[in-house]
Amino acid sequence: MAELVEIIGISHSPNFPGQIAEPNPEPAIVEAAHDYELMRKRMAASRPDVLIVIASDHLNQFFMDNMPAFLIGKAPRAEGPFPHEMRAFGIAPYRAQVETDVAKSMLQAAPKMGVDFSFSDEFRIDHAFTVPLNFIRPEMDLPIVPIFTNVMAPPVPPARRFFAVGKAIRKIIHALPSNKRVGVLSSGHLAIEIGGPKEGRSSSDPEFDRRMMNWVGQGDVENVIKEATWENMMASGNVTPGFLNFVLLMGLADGKAPSVSGVRFPKSKGSVPYMAWDNQAGVLP
Amino acid sequence: MSKYQVDKVMREAILDAKAAAAFKADAEKFLQDRDLTEEERKALIDVDYATLYKLGAHPFLLNGFIRLVWKGDKAALNAEYRKNIAPFGYPDFST
Repeated sequence: MAELVEIIGISHSPNFPGQIAEPNPEPAIVEAAHDYELMRKRMAASRPDVLIVIASDHLNQFFMDNMPAFLIGKAPRAEGPFPHEMRAFGIAPYRAQVETDVAKSMLQAAPKMGVDFSFSDEFRIDHAFTVPLNFIRPEMDLPIVPIFTNVMAPPVPPARRFFAVGKAIRKIIHALPSNKRVGVLSSGHLAIEIGGPKEGRSSSDPEFDRRMMNWVGQGDVENVIKEATWENMMASGNVTPGFLNFVLLMGLADGKAPSVSGVRFPKSKGSVPYMAWDNQAGVLP
Repeated sequence: MSKYQVDKVMREAILDAKAAAAFKADAEKFLQDRDLTEEERKALIDVDYATLYKLGAHPFLLNGFIRLVWKGDKAALNAEYRKNIAPFGYPDFST
């Protein structure tokens, strides 16, 4: 039986690495970078053997010709981001081995837990994977199991389904036929608008961000699910459904409050959330 | 309405620099075999982002696409984009 040793959720903003590297970043960026450094240390302290990385794809790898809701990647290697993302944002590449035995075991166990994952033997991971991985495991020394979620192409699964899939992944990890220590890293974001009339540099709805992160911090699953409807999220910003990956993490944590969570509000970018459920705090497994 | 086909053109240009260059060089030729309405075809050829937005083009793709193929001043584009699409609110971009 594998052990779930750490769950971490952070933003995947492709602008964030560049903003940290600026000569004089604003205080909220410095604080957020510090938060992420603490997240990196938490993951390292949990000594995982493998990282399950749950993130979205921005219509780079998956498109409306063949759109999976939840997909496990089981190619031998994962590499990204896409060349156009490196050109546009100057973000660093990431390469990792895929723990294919774990990926295959997860696929086999999942239907009994109520989830029929799609799978892929050939894919590239985009910035939603590479940005958080470069923050949390810059050594690139751990094998990963990538899980892709659709938060970009409607209809996306509702929040309650993301929560249920998180709960199922928790059970699947516990049922794995190995004694591996499993860390989970997920990325998403709070309110944000891209290509819409509200687009600006900072959060498109700071009130949504505060309300949601308050409930995430309290482990208030019902309020989060009630608020995170497609319509409400779109009203907060047209790319806000990226928040759903954090709802999945709440399920993965069995609805318990995180050990630590918070959010920073830089003026120069969308809000920067973080959340972690530690084994040490007795929250897991 | 063929939102999917519009999104597909925009994604091709985003993913492939050669496709973006071919679109910029001769948009009409690039689109000749595409299953688009005349309104969509004209809006793509004219890089008429407000019409594409109104028709339900995926805003995330539209945002990336117009910055790639815009022939005018990009700073001016950033300034006018929000203002020009605002009247259309939030069109349904599901395909």
